[in-house]
Amino acid sequence: MAKVAQRGLIKAQELYEHRQTRAKELAKKGKKVIGYFCSYTPVEIFTALDLVPFRIQGKVGKPVEQAGQYLESIVCPYVRSCFDIALGGELDFLSGVVIPHTCDAMHRLYDIWKYHLKPPYSYSLYVPHMTHQASFDFFQKEIENLKTGLEQFVGRSASEQDLIKAIGLHNRSRALLKELYELRKPEPPLISGSEIIQVLVAGMTIPIEEFNELLEDILVEVHSRNPSAENKPRLLISGSEVDDDSLIRLVEECGADVVMDDLCTGSRFFWHDVDPSKEAIAGLAERYLKITCPRTYRPGKAAQRFNYLGDFIREWKAQGVILYTIRFCDTYQLDAPEMMDYIQSLGLPVLFLEDTYITSPLGQWKTRVEAFLETIEARRE
Amino acid sequence: MAEETKTEPKQKTSSAKSTESAGKIRQIVKRMYKKAQQAKEENRKIAYCMVMCNYEEILEAMDVVQVYTENYAGLCAVKREAEQYMKKAQAVGYSDVLCGYAQVGIGFDAWRHELGAMPPDAPDGGMPEPDMLLGCSMGCDPRWKWYQALGRYKDTPIYNMEVLMPPSDADFDAIRAYYVRYMAEELRGLIAFLEKQTGKKMDYDRLTSIVKQVEETRQWWRKAYELRKAIPCPMSTQDHFVIFVPHHMLLTDPMTLDFYKGLYQELKERVDNEIGVIDDEKYRLLWGVGIPPWHSMYILDYFQSFGAVFAAETAYMIPEPFEMPYDITDPVELIALRAFERNSAIQRRGKEAGGVPPLAQAHLERIKDFTIDGVVMHITRSCRAATMGQILVRNVIRDYYPRLPVMFMESDIVDVETYSEAETKNQIDTFMEMVDVYRKSHR
Repeated sequence: MAKVAQRGLIKAQELYEHRQTRAKELAKKGKKVIGYFCSYTPVEIFTALDLVPFRIQGKVGKPVEQAGQYLESIVCPYVRSCFDIALGGELDFLSGVVIPHTCDAMHRLYDIWKYHLKPPYSYSLYVPHMTHQASFDFFQKEIENLKTGLEQFVGRSASEQDLIKAIGLHNRSRALLKELYELRKPEPPLISGSEIIQVLVAGMTIPIEEFNELLEDILVEVHSRNPSAENKPRLLISGSEVDDDSLIRLVEECGADVVMDDLCTGSRFFWHDVDPSKEAIAGLAERYLKITCPRTYRPGKAAQRFNYLGDFIREWKAQGVILYTIRFCDTYQLDAPEMMDYIQSLGLPVLFLEDTYITSPLGQWKTRVEAFLETIEARRE
Repeated sequence: MAEETKTEPKQKTSSAKSTESAGKIRQIVKRMYKKAQQAKEENRKIAYCMVMCNYEEILEAMDVVQVYTENYAGLCAVKREAEQYMKKAQAVGYSDVLCGYAQVGIGFDAWRHELGAMPPDAPDGGMPEPDMLLGCSMGCDPRWKWYQALGRYKDTPIYNMEVLMPPSDADFDAIRAYYVRYMAEELRGLIAFLEKQTGKKMDYDRLTSIVKQVEETRQWWRKAYELRKAIPCPMSTQDHFVIFVPHHMLLTDPMTLDFYKGLYQELKERVDNEIGVIDDEKYRLLWGVGIPPWHSMYILDYFQSFGAVFAAETAYMIPEPFEMPYDITDPVELIALRAFERNSAIQRRGKEAGGVPPLAQAHLERIKDFTIDGVVMHITRSCRAATMGQILVRNVIRDYYPRLPVMFMESDIVDVETYSEAETKNQIDTFMEMVDVYRKSHR
């Protein structure tokens, strides 16, 4: 029984370690795989058109080889890493790419990607920075335009029913992920932070139906666990793109549990459902503009803007927060000091880590994480 | 022959001619800050603003005094007084690679908050305390995030507004209606915000007349700019980075219209009399994308010592021409349509040219129209938006003009510590040799 139950997490780990394997298999079989960036791409449109969504990720630890000839050194290192991989031919199986205009780097990347890589299909999706009523109306039109472009590319159309079905599949996935996140609440958590990263990254590389099956297996497995309490410090990690488990593993090896996240590749990616009572495109526009990323303007002082983080901290009983930013990310770095103020106002210590993504200074971080955990331990005593 | 192609730098001579128009700007800038400070004393409403957000006419029609914070950072850099504000921003938690303008602006306001008064010896008397913060999404992310970050130090009301930049390969006719509609709604939201903040109602007739005046101002600047195609070139980029000030920061001031009429007359007279920036114009350069090194602008004169003039640039550009349709009487609709047409004009031309990225298209057009022999771009450590894409531009230029020399100068928009004069001069020496070879084989 235990052997069968372990299949899910092992499979997630395999997919995490070999991220392109399944998508390449499907591409070989004639499926069209569309690469995309960011949490803001409404992948339900892909699913409705029987396209495989594949989230483009970089490779932590792999030095940039060719991208230096195309991207300036002060560009977001995550973007440089992704482009380097594409230049190396690893993403040649993609039939197209959707790059949302979410931040300056993504906005500029579109023309660079298109000019140099010449994908068969490409679309730059303008995601409004504001959240006025008119922003939602505009975003609906943009999503409709994306849908029309993809329909022309594949030579078939997606009906409202197709969209509703796709939304149902993705909402199901979100529900399963939330159920999995509930299992991070107990003391000790039933699933570790590094396992969660592996599961999420795995899910970004396979069709949604396969991910839902995988999640169901994983839930059975994790539910069956019965770990003994170790009373480790409980941490939340907030930041942008963490698609590699090395940082989380480092924290865990230092003796803490990462019990919740606020990451582009974590809760931010799946937290909100699409309202099924709405027309499909309207529901998608509303859902994707709800994402709490610093690139979207939300009025109000820090206490209003980051209160969702406060809710996470309380519900998952976090005792400290790691604030992780990637160097050269203006949107995150303009929010970071206020986020720190806010978290400290809740009485929690914060560890601020600025990463270069490609060569994370894990050795230095280990010392800082250990010192941070000592602070938490002292407070707990 | 080899000896003939070798160019030796000359000392700067008195033949370098800056325009009289450019010579007026320093006083205009001083007056601008003085007037803003006086306006504050008179309890008039002050807004922190970003340039080129399409709201200048609306603010003027509502009698809101505009203070352009990015440009104040530029002024601090020119006066080499930016560092104190950057250090302050870093001390309160902001990254040292964050947008340099934002670092200066946040540092300035953090310091003012700490002191409860204007920071001591602030350049040109400092920016008055704003009554509202008006960011916009066009250009880069810090242009609205910065004002949100000021929430740490102020309870000042904010209106951040979307200004759309359509994608390079869009079907422009298909998207026009909903792009314009969104922009118009954003502008109406701004008007409602301003009416609340000022207690005044918008005078739409006045707004219409300001919009018309602004278009006339731009026509004169454009006419003056066209004259720089002449050989010898009557005005250099060094002057461009000064004379853009009235347009970008005092757009609605009637003085600005007269200024560009005067600039046109001055350049026309120079062209008619074949007076160039330098007497013996050997090479014509393009200052490519990249905000200039405000801290060390004199380095551009070093190119001049080789007989090179910067005849054009793609930074702080004049907005694209816009023909006002007669059937639109609502000035808000007009501004919204104008924003769309302008912000998609280069994209459209690049698409028609077979898929040239818009940033590169702007360069290709100037290389051809202004008879350019070399391109200089400025990679700036703290400005991603104006730096990312420079290599793409260089690569596209290579596809169209394989041997045209392109130089990347590296420093920052405000941080002088990133700048090495010796290295930059060495780079320029080598670059000018390449320009000389190109010039001889192509003109």
